[in-house]
Amino acid sequence: MSIPGLGDLAPAAAPVVTSSSAAAPTITEVLEPFWEYRFEVPHGSTLDIKLVSGTAEKDGTELAPNTTYTFTAMKSKINTWHGCTLEISSPSGNYDAYTSEPTADETPMVSYLNLHFKLEAFRTAAQKAGQTGPRVLVVGPPNSGKTSLVKMLTGWATRMGRQPLVINTDCREGMLALPGSLSAAVFATIIDITTDWGSTPSSGPSAVPVKLPLVYNYGLGQPEENMRLYKRVLSRLAVTATSRLAEDPDVKTAGLLIDTGGVNVSKGGYDHIAHIVAEFSVNIVLVIGSERIGSEIQKKFAGQKTSLDEPITVVSLDKSGGVVERDTGFLQQVHEAAIKEYFFGDSNTTLSPFTQQVDFSALSIWKINPASASATLDDDIYSDAMLEKIEPSLMIQNCVLSVNYASIHDSADTIRDSNVMGYVYVAEVDEKRRKLKILAPVNARLGDRPLLWGSWPEPMVSLLG
Amino acid sequence: MSNESESEAVAQDFRDALEDLQSFDRTEISTLTVIARENTEHAHAISGALQDHIKRVIPQKKLPALYVLDSIVKNVGTPYTLYFGRKLYQTFMDAYASVDMPTRRKMDEMLRTWKGPVAGSLDTRPVFPPDVTRPIENALIKARTAHLQAQQKHQQGQQQLLGRSRPASQGVPYRETPTPPGFHPPSQANGYPAQPPVPTSSGPSYGSSSQLPPTTYPPHSSQPQPTRSTPQPTPGLMAFHPPQLGGYGAPQAGISIDALNNDIQRLITASKAQIALNPHDPSIQTRLKALVDLQTILQTQNLPQDQLVLVKNQIADLAVTIKAPPSQTPTPTPVPQPQPQPAPVAVAPPPTAAPKVSLDSLFGAGTLAALMARNSVTPQASAPYHPPAPVAIHTPPPPPQPKPVEPKKPVTTHPPPPPSDPMALMNMLRQAGLLPGTAPASSSTPVSHATPSNSFPVAFNIPPTIPVVQHVRPSTLEGLTSDIVLRASSLKQFRPQLLPFLFESLGPQCTQCGRRFPKDEEGKKKKTAHMDWHFRVNQRIAEAEKRGQHRSWLVDEVDWIKTREIVDTDYVAPSGDSNSASGGSASKEPQLQYIPVPDDPSLANSVCSICQEKFETRWLDQQQEFVWPDAMKVGEKIYHASCYKEAFKDGGNTPVYSRGTPEPVTGKRKAELDDERHGRNDAHAM
Repeated sequence: MSIPGLGDLAPAAAPVVTSSSAAAPTITEVLEPFWEYRFEVPHGSTLDIKLVSGTAEKDGTELAPNTTYTFTAMKSKINTWHGCTLEISSPSGNYDAYTSEPTADETPMVSYLNLHFKLEAFRTAAQKAGQTGPRVLVVGPPNSGKTSLVKMLTGWATRMGRQPLVINTDCREGMLALPGSLSAAVFATIIDITTDWGSTPSSGPSAVPVKLPLVYNYGLGQPEENMRLYKRVLSRLAVTATSRLAEDPDVKTAGLLIDTGGVNVSKGGYDHIAHIVAEFSVNIVLVIGSERIGSEIQKKFAGQKTSLDEPITVVSLDKSGGVVERDTGFLQQVHEAAIKEYFFGDSNTTLSPFTQQVDFSALSIWKINPASASATLDDDIYSDAMLEKIEPSLMIQNCVLSVNYASIHDSADTIRDSNVMGYVYVAEVDEKRRKLKILAPVNARLGDRPLLWGSWPEPMVSLLG
Repeated sequence: MSNESESEAVAQDFRDALEDLQSFDRTEISTLTVIARENTEHAHAISGALQDHIKRVIPQKKLPALYVLDSIVKNVGTPYTLYFGRKLYQTFMDAYASVDMPTRRKMDEMLRTWKGPVAGSLDTRPVFPPDVTRPIENALIKARTAHLQAQQKHQQGQQQLLGRSRPASQGVPYRETPTPPGFHPPSQANGYPAQPPVPTSSGPSYGSSSQLPPTTYPPHSSQPQPTRSTPQPTPGLMAFHPPQLGGYGAPQAGISIDALNNDIQRLITASKAQIALNPHDPSIQTRLKALVDLQTILQTQNLPQDQLVLVKNQIADLAVTIKAPPSQTPTPTPVPQPQPQPAPVAVAPPPTAAPKVSLDSLFGAGTLAALMARNSVTPQASAPYHPPAPVAIHTPPPPPQPKPVEPKKPVTTHPPPPPSDPMALMNMLRQAGLLPGTAPASSSTPVSHATPSNSFPVAFNIPPTIPVVQHVRPSTLEGLTSDIVLRASSLKQFRPQLLPFLFESLGPQCTQCGRRFPKDEEGKKKKTAHMDWHFRVNQRIAEAEKRGQHRSWLVDEVDWIKTREIVDTDYVAPSGDSNSASGGSASKEPQLQYIPVPDDPSLANSVCSICQEKFETRWLDQQQEFVWPDAMKVGEKIYHASCYKEAFKDGGNTPVYSRGTPEPVTGKRKAELDDERHGRNDAHAM
């Protein structure tokens, strides 16, 4: 394949599994339409990918031609609709990659794409009628490619000039926020494909427009750990998101794209899914990668209507064959990388956080409790038990705490409902001198902001090491 | 950032701007010159980018790019002359080889100017030293001789070469040539490789079409020719009958659309020639645009007779005013664009240029509106004006995978804009630039057919059609997606006709981030703003690295709800930059007064010391930080700028520390000082 004006392309070389030599040999991969270049780069290794010709995208966002993208700590893929040639090199470390060669009939990408265009048609219709665009929820078992699908739909929508409001209800992972949070952000600009979702604002400029998330700290790893708290936080997120939707016509038209954590089939964890559907008036539920979940969800929502009196459509989708298991070790590394990135920036931007010593007395720390076994879901007596004010102790050492938009004088309920202003990391607890050493993104006192401490993300020992 | 990558970034910007260079737009050329001037430290990269560009682009775009080179060497001079000089022979000759005759004349002229000093300059040295220009001249003389000989041979039994024939052969009218020049990129006749004229996939259909004109021609030339009654600029022009219009030659009673078309085509040709002569005259540019728009309308819409009369009269008037270009122009200059041939297929909405503006400038205000209004009222009139002939010839190349064809799709004799639907027409107009937004909402079938997965390289190969095609969206996305049902089986069906909506229809990519921008005016504006933004951000990144950065606090719920995403529009705040603004900013309308949101959370809830109201937090994309608009800091107190002005307007002597012009650096330092103070306090407290 050659393109006049762009020079002849080297013939495709067989993918090499590892390369760690200093010379970093460049491999040329020629992909035909619908093929995917799937790669896994471990932490500490980097992989450079450059689009030489044709078109290619990663999770719905197009690669710029002749621009080198450097990936690290990522398991993902580059796909193409027209065919493309990629130049791949690994300047440091190793990586694993292969080319998947499905046809149009085989790849689930076609379904995703059609889905996008259907959503686009809904958005156009909504725009004309001045109504709210589609509210789409993606559900599926763990490791079925839910987030990738959400990202793809986001990327495609953005490319067509839409501004979808993306909502992450997966408390295990963060979207533009640290794990343990539920967040929302409008995506009107391109997503930095070398990162998960892009980066949040810093004091400096960013080569890829930053996204501004709205973040709430749930602080636990599973919705089931404290379902009442999860729902409370989620409802709060829904209220704010819906207000934005109501006030921002561009966002309203584009609608919502909602990501969820993996549904555990055996536990039948549809409770919070139903809550999400109700709170966000979801009218399209995409079930990816599980017939069982698909049929159960179908049953659950059959005949139901949203609060806007639209029917709820449940669509089953195949999962991509490229979806890989991200084991706990990998995920932990991802979480730690996210925390590190929050304070210190990434390879493109170096951020300087500030350490400061604080008196125990100057802080107001609230612990997010998992639900006690005795508490039943709708039992309001336990309301206050969700948050508990604690004295700083060695327990919070190496933990990440959220700083919330509330006052230390506010009630536990208000604090629980408040959104996250940022995070601090507790580097050291000196119980004798009653002092804490904390790392904050901004060099400033925390004033009268309360700090929330949950068990998720897990303590990270190595941040300042 | 290393110098190399910076150079690369600058070159990238430059390259991108070049991509947009369509014609002889003076402002574009001078913008590029300014960029080159301001980045002389990256001259090597820039000159490399420009040389590559000249080499790479289609013949029609070479001349504009050469003008850029010309402008840079004349206005900036060294070091560019040095860099360009090295490869000038190659650059020039490559381009010369692939362009048509009128363009070559331009290039000859250009070369001539390079041999002397810059006009009006005190420097008496030639633009390029003789040892650079002489080899080119020698080569050209040789080539001309050879060409002339070849020419004579060809004339005996051959046709093809007319497009670039020397004046001697100009008398030969095109209609005697089996293959009208319009079908061939100029390069072909020269035996230069260049691009195949048509996408390979559509080879057969185009191939046959190029054979057709001889047959369609006779009726055309025997037509009653109101054409002739129009004042003819030159005999040369008269000789030129755009062959592609021949296909439409259904003779009409009254005013023939074809005749009008011919007239317009001739005027377009003449205008192009004028542009070529005088590339810096925006008025010709405007006129050309208007003509092209009008041509499009005529070819795709059907206007009642009275409207045609109006148009015809205007055309006649115009024809008088357009001066006959010098004798070399009879050759149809394929230079700028409108290969009118694909037009009937592709061009529904007047392409890109906000047609209202240009048409109005040409025919007086409201003309277009009148035409359109008329048209939407009498949509049915369409049929007779579209004889089946064009279909045979111009049906877009069949889609590579003619999958499920939608019932709605115009597979038909009608040009894509469904003429029976006034709404669709208005929509198209909207997309053509009369109304912003909604662009992706709808798009073209036939066109998308031509371009989609046809495999990419091919798409690159059909420069003449692509530009016209790209922003044309005769049928809507809604129509195309109506058969998609939210069920697994329906979703699994691949619909290649949809793909262009995410790719080609969106326009070419930004080379820095991969975003696509339409090629219409709106898109261009956006892209310029976008490139500005990249440029500024890159600059600021370099600055920021020295300064040290930190993560910002997020906003609270209320501010988040109030936030509006900023895409491009706000990038167009040219005064924000310290390097460019210092002079002009003072005279401008009141600037946005703001201060960065204090990092200190205890200050973050500050209220205006005058009105006691909270400040509103906004994300200022341009500065990439959160700010309080309409805020100012006086000493330690923060006020609403408006409150402060109100309160202190009489006492002009109050020392005011305001940050009218964005000065992120000082602002930041201020904030950081505050922070440090707090930090020290903490330290003391220990």
